[in-house]
Amino acid sequence: MELNNLKDAFDRVAKKQKLSCSKVQEVMDQIVQEIEKAIEMMQSTTLDHKSILAELKKKLHEIAPLAQLEGTQKELNIALSKYPKALEKTLNPDISKAYRNIEFDSHTVNQIIAGHFYRQGMFDVGDCFITEAGEAEAAAAMRSLFQEMYQILEAMKSRNLEPALKWAAANSDKLKENGSDLLLGLHQLQFVKILQKGSREEALKYARTNFVPFAGNHMAEIQKLMGCLLYSDRLSESPYAHLLSPTNWDIVAEELTRQFCNLLGQSYQSPLSVTIAAGVQGLPPLLKFMTVMAGKKQEWQSMKQLPVPVELDKEFQFHSIFVCPVSKEQSTEDNPPMLMSCGHVLCKQSINKMSKNGSKTFKCPY
Amino acid sequence: MEEGSRTENLQVQNCRARLDHLESVDAENLSEWNNVRFKRILVDYMLRMSYYDTARKLAESSKIEELVDLEVFQEAKKVVDALKNQEVGPALAWCAENKSRLKKSKSKFEFQLRLQEFIELVRAENYMRAILYARRYLAPWGATHLKELQLVMTTLAFRSNTECTKYKVLFEPKQWDFLVDQFKQEFYKLHGMTLEPLLNIYLQAGLSALKTPCCFEDGCTKEDPLSQENFRKLAMPLPYSKQHHSKLVCYITKELMDTENPPQVLPNGYVYSTKALKEMAEKNNGKITCPRTGLVCNYSDLVKAYIS
Repeated sequence: MELNNLKDAFDRVAKKQKLSCSKVQEVMDQIVQEIEKAIEMMQSTTLDHKSILAELKKKLHEIAPLAQLEGTQKELNIALSKYPKALEKTLNPDISKAYRNIEFDSHTVNQIIAGHFYRQGMFDVGDCFITEAGEAEAAAAMRSLFQEMYQILEAMKSRNLEPALKWAAANSDKLKENGSDLLLGLHQLQFVKILQKGSREEALKYARTNFVPFAGNHMAEIQKLMGCLLYSDRLSESPYAHLLSPTNWDIVAEELTRQFCNLLGQSYQSPLSVTIAAGVQGLPPLLKFMTVMAGKKQEWQSMKQLPVPVELDKEFQFHSIFVCPVSKEQSTEDNPPMLMSCGHVLCKQSINKMSKNGSKTFKCPY
Repeated sequence: MEEGSRTENLQVQNCRARLDHLESVDAENLSEWNNVRFKRILVDYMLRMSYYDTARKLAESSKIEELVDLEVFQEAKKVVDALKNQEVGPALAWCAENKSRLKKSKSKFEFQLRLQEFIELVRAENYMRAILYARRYLAPWGATHLKELQLVMTTLAFRSNTECTKYKVLFEPKQWDFLVDQFKQEFYKLHGMTLEPLLNIYLQAGLSALKTPCCFEDGCTKEDPLSQENFRKLAMPLPYSKQHHSKLVCYITKELMDTENPPQVLPNGYVYSTKALKEMAEKNNGKITCPRTGLVCNYSDLVKAYIS
């Protein structure tokens, strides 16, 4: 982001602040020095105290500390007042212009946040949050669900596949329903791990016990793994070196997370992250609209549909939306899209309008 | 003197760190930068709701202490805690510190604090002290806020457990909560922050942008945040999103259909992407089975649809 003039303005402020600071220090030191000198004189000589104090007063006047401090302070203030102006020019100072004044129920929001922390594995932050916010019961359920998942993932990070294999075996039919290869992937990793330790017979035994159910659909994979047996001590130079790569572990961990969330009935990505990311993309056009339509605050609070189209990235498109190319309206139950014989699709209302309710024939607008 | 310059130096450091952070965004680290922004939004929410420990934990675990205002909110914490304990001391001290700026924004917060202290004196039936207090502290505000002043002065005539509704409400402990909210608003205005938590602003924009009538049906995919009860509740009063171009999502592959992967219409009216239908045809001798109705037809019976 182009921030050069902002940075210059800020550097000026910082410099002036340092200057002002050091000046203050200097002046204070001077004053302290004079006072100490005066005290010394008072203690050492027999001169009359009044005259010493008068001398001190004169000296302090000469130094004129106030005037010096005022000078640097003024410069600092000037730089400080220019800085916010530069800020306002480059960045948008108020993003709450597009906000509607409706109360967000804080309990719901807190529950959403607690759920988010648990599903990201941030258990201690989540616990601290529910104690401070007082949301204990509702969030506890989420916590136990995701704790199991994170325990399995932690074990996998330290290359221990036991919990993962146990979970996958327990849920194997549901996994098969979803068409997931998780169980095979886990067995693959375990097989390569055993082979890396160098024990060929153990690996062969493992393969015999566990690979049989996959022989039907995944013969090619199993053949590759069997080929690895030949290279058991030189796997890194074999054509199967890619099986040693740690990314395989990451891929299987991701698949495990996906399937776990699926079986729990949860989405893969935290819904809070998705909504905030959508908000980040959606806010700029709304703000632009609000700055242009400055006066219409009332309408803004009560409209049923956003006034400007908000283009989000592909990953936020969860539902199909049909927009008629002629009337630019979104189709609904009463106004469905209709296919013409040329292959173009218009909404029912547009077709009715063009053919005057079915009486005339009409030409496709394309 | 030293402490003053220390705080100033800290502020300078923070500002510089933030400017650097803003400048550091580019295409490669975009998702991580967005992640940091997300954490900042969460910490801001925690601080505003007074969940200070969670805010600190979150900021430390993501190393974003310089990008969030933990110290600034520490001074707010003192005032808020005191107000919750029904003490106005720190709040008045804060007003005195920021007198000139509060005056510029025509704030009547100090007046409200004084009124509350007056009411507490009346509640304790210290009538003489209350009157002296009023003469000293409330009179200067009389010029601008006469009606309110008169209302509160009349409480002298009632007892604190009065049944008269107009004055009963002034004696309720809820007034203190109102003062806490009022303080927070003044505090945000003074420091140039938005009056609403950043989280709410982004949530509103996001929910609106994602809200379509399909989200409320039963078949809504779990990946859509609006399939969850919590989000639906929040999104109820918000407007629907608006689109200018059709976006069709294939039921089979869940991918977007566009000119390279156009939609094809089956004889029963259901629509799927060319990619999914071709794959199905190749595996099944050119035959297509509609996943939603079970109708079987040939790949050659399909009609390509043009949607834009």
